[in-house]
Amino acid sequence: MTGQLKRLLENRFRISAQLYMGIGGAVVLTMGASLVGWYSFNRVGEAQSHVNEESVPEMAAAFGVAQRSGALTAAAPRLAAAATPEDFARVAAEIASEQDAFEAQLTTLTAFEAQLTALTRQRGEEELFANIRANGAALIANIASINRSVAERFALSAQSAALRVELAEVRAEMDNLLIPAIDDQLFFAMTGYRTLDEEASPRQEHFSEAEFDRYRHLADLHGDATIANQLLASAFNLADAALIEPLRERFEAAAGRVEQRQSVIGASPALTRIAQAFERLFQMGLGQESGFNLRSRELELAARQQDLLARNRSLAIDLLADVEGLVGAARIRAEEATRASSDAILTGQRLLLALNIVSIVGALLIAYLFVGRVLLRRLERLSSRMRSMASGDLETEVDISGRDEVADMAAALEVFRRHALEVQRLNLVEKLAEELQGKNEQLEKVLADLRRAQDQIVMREKLAALGELTAGVAHEIKNPLNFVKNFSEVSTELLEELQEVLGESEVKLGEEPKEIIEEICEDLTGNLERICQHGERANAIVHAMLSMGRGGGDRQPTDINRLLDEHARLAYHSARASDPNFNLTIEKDFDPEAGLVEVVPQDMGRVFLNLVSNACYATDEKRRAGGGGEDYEPTLTMATRRLDNRLEVMVRDNGSGIPPHVVDKIFNPFFTTKPTDQGTGLGLALSNDIVREQGGAIRVESEPGQFTEMIVELPLKPIS
Amino acid sequence: MRLAGAFLAGLAAIAGVGLEGTSAPSGERILFGQSAAFSGPAQELGKNMRLGIQAAFAEANERGGIHGRQLELLSKDDAYEPEAAIVNTRQLIEQNEVFALIGAVGTPTSRSAAPVAAAAGVPYIAPFTGAAFLREPTWRNVINLRASYDQETEAMVARLTADLGIERIAVMYQDDSFGRAGYRGALKALQRRGMAPAAIGVYPRNTTAIKTALLDLWTADPGAVILVGAYKPVATFIAWARHTGWDPVFITISFVGSNALAKELGPGGTGVFVTQVVPFPADDSLPVVVAYRHALANYDAEATPGFVSLEGYLAGRLAISALERCGPEVDRARFLESLRSAEPIDLGGFALRYGEDDHQGSDAVFLTAIGNDGAYRPIHSLRDAMRP
Repeated sequence: MTGQLKRLLENRFRISAQLYMGIGGAVVLTMGASLVGWYSFNRVGEAQSHVNEESVPEMAAAFGVAQRSGALTAAAPRLAAAATPEDFARVAAEIASEQDAFEAQLTTLTAFEAQLTALTRQRGEEELFANIRANGAALIANIASINRSVAERFALSAQSAALRVELAEVRAEMDNLLIPAIDDQLFFAMTGYRTLDEEASPRQEHFSEAEFDRYRHLADLHGDATIANQLLASAFNLADAALIEPLRERFEAAAGRVEQRQSVIGASPALTRIAQAFERLFQMGLGQESGFNLRSRELELAARQQDLLARNRSLAIDLLADVEGLVGAARIRAEEATRASSDAILTGQRLLLALNIVSIVGALLIAYLFVGRVLLRRLERLSSRMRSMASGDLETEVDISGRDEVADMAAALEVFRRHALEVQRLNLVEKLAEELQGKNEQLEKVLADLRRAQDQIVMREKLAALGELTAGVAHEIKNPLNFVKNFSEVSTELLEELQEVLGESEVKLGEEPKEIIEEICEDLTGNLERICQHGERANAIVHAMLSMGRGGGDRQPTDINRLLDEHARLAYHSARASDPNFNLTIEKDFDPEAGLVEVVPQDMGRVFLNLVSNACYATDEKRRAGGGGEDYEPTLTMATRRLDNRLEVMVRDNGSGIPPHVVDKIFNPFFTTKPTDQGTGLGLALSNDIVREQGGAIRVESEPGQFTEMIVELPLKPIS
Repeated sequence: MRLAGAFLAGLAAIAGVGLEGTSAPSGERILFGQSAAFSGPAQELGKNMRLGIQAAFAEANERGGIHGRQLELLSKDDAYEPEAAIVNTRQLIEQNEVFALIGAVGTPTSRSAAPVAAAAGVPYIAPFTGAAFLREPTWRNVINLRASYDQETEAMVARLTADLGIERIAVMYQDDSFGRAGYRGALKALQRRGMAPAAIGVYPRNTTAIKTALLDLWTADPGAVILVGAYKPVATFIAWARHTGWDPVFITISFVGSNALAKELGPGGTGVFVTQVVPFPADDSLPVVVAYRHALANYDAEATPGFVSLEGYLAGRLAISALERCGPEVDRARFLESLRSAEPIDLGGFALRYGEDDHQGSDAVFLTAIGNDGAYRPIHSLRDAMRP
């Protein structure tokens, strides 16, 4: 026992060891693949970080420089276009922040340049960096120049605006001084009046060439002053610096004329103020800070600004080109790094693929060697053996070698097979014995059936012989009955004649004999009538017997009531004839409307005869068995009832009834409950056939020990 | 300054958001705006117009306002300069959100300011000018109080020819749109009678350089001179003419500023005629004039009644009547409509009648003359004044 257990344990360890070895091998292979995967992803990561650390920041810095330089270039014209000092300050602040950002980007780029190793540095990149730095510095310097020039422009604008205001003031002052002076001078020259306080001076004093000259000079002075003022004012509307000189030239001419006229006119208090106004005007037009100079400086400044802006643009373009070169270099480096990382990825992929293949092959080998060959194949053999055993092959031995659980199972199956083989043999013997017994029983039953059929055939033969005999006897009886009938009728007629003769006879008889004779005659007539009546009854019975024996016939309209009545009586008498103790009360409930039904009367008569005979038998059986007690009165109730399309005929007795287990069989041929010598088992079967032939049906209602009612349904119009 | 302006404009823009499209005066007051000359040669006109309007508003406010609302006037100085008038009008409409503009002074200023008001849909009430263009039906927002310069000059020519039988009439006018408006009116009146100006004299605006014009007229020696100008040059002209011994009939237009003219002329002003478009301020027969003097005295005890302040008072009363007609729900369209379509307004002896295309309330022209005492007196015929 312990030895067995030890061996079993050994076996178990063996199969577990196989599985553990297989799984362990697969695990080792998977771990190897994971290690290689980890290693190659590490390589990819390194390559990627190389891209991230070197190329991406460089590109970002280069793009930043490009973006900032573009923004700076775009901002510069806005600086030049600033309309007010507030605008200018705002734009300048924006540009200053842009410039800071640009410088920061340049610094980043420079710092990055320092990090670049000699290996990764692209050809010409050093030059690019130098260019970018130079151009960036130039751009910043240029923007500073623009800044300065715009500030200057605003200073000039403020100056020229102030000058224009002063110009307008001077003009108004000169108008206010000169217009009344001219007005006064003309009036004086014409009238001699100078003020409202004085009277007019003598004509020779005022109406002189000198006074009119003075008037003319004053008027010209006003004209020249207006011209000079206009010239200076229009200088501020000029856009072309070259056109300023002609204006200045004309202004100088006008100023010359004014000086000349002033010296001609001479001095006066009013003229002193006018001279002061002119002094201001000349200062505005001729001095170092003259309006003309201001305007030409403004225009110069504008031109310089345009130059600076153009330079700005070209610097930005150069810068962008350099930055683009730098971006290109960075892109090349990035591409290299990307390629390196792609290589690493490819290597990793290949390694992983190879290891996967090795792992899969190893796993497949393990599966094949340990599971497939050692376990599965033997299990399959075991299973196929089991299947063949299940399908009945118990003869072949189970033979699977090995020292594991499968071998155990095979051994157990072998034991099972042997047991099964023995059991199978035993079963076969038992089964044969049972079959033999069954056959015996069958044979006995067939034998009984045969005997019964034989009895019935004998009975039928007897009946057939009886039928023939009856037909022959009936025929023979018919003639004597005819004689009895005929002669009793003749005797009756003769008795009538005798009585007539007695009445008319001349022979006088005494009263007494006459009465006696008449009495005798009446008795004779009564006797004869009875003879005739019974003769007819006998004739009817014979007729019925004959018709029974004949069988077959044609359908004809038949009075069912009458047919039933006749055959009931026949059956009754037949029963009475066989047993004098037989007694039966017959109650009739015929439907007077029953009318004629087309049937074969002989067949239908046989049906009724059969039914009534059964009823007689049943009541008699009950009476003899004493089931109804002392008061039992055997009763047969016959009824017909006409319905819409059929006629129902009911034959009911209060006899022994039919047990439920028999009800279904009563119409089977050769089935009978009567003793073998009394019933053929064909009566009801025959009756059923006949009624069906007529298109009708027989049904039965019964209660054992109480009653049986057979109901025949006949269609009024038979089926064709 | 620029910053402050931008700031104010910004504030106005913010404040204006909620009021866009509404013309109803806000809350408890109704604000009127006035851009007129409060400095320069025409300052007397602006000041007196303001005085009259204030007197009328104060009178109404004392009674409890119009439908419970107090009337206020905000005045700005334009010194009779069109550019300043435009700036003032814009500020009054956009920043101060005035309900209507009232009592502007001068033709060139009104000519510049009225389109600004029209563009903003702001009523432009009773400008102190008789220029014909403001009476054209196209100006839907302009409500004139006074008779036109055409009517004044027509009255002058009519009286000169009818009362005095003068046939040689010269015109001296200020060289601007006001002077030319008066000149054209006189020219039409003369031409209507088959006449032409005997001489024409012109002087530059804002100066007193009238002697050249005087020489031009003098040589033609007309019987009468129609003067269309400011009080100072007109007074200078008359003084010089009389000083030189030339003394035709001088007749000048209401715009001259009668009180200022009389003051300027002093004793030498006797016999100068001035046409007026409002009744004589001392005329006790007219209830409105009595009310005016009462209101003026109540408002400013020191103030002297005069034609300009009376016109200002009538302008104020016109605005008040229109507001009363509007009822409690006042808006600009209803304000203008109430004047145009309803019954004539009787301010108490001074009737104003407007129509769908008639934007001038009064057609009345009154004659006045400066007497020996230097004071004005109403006259009915020029002949009355010629008597010593």
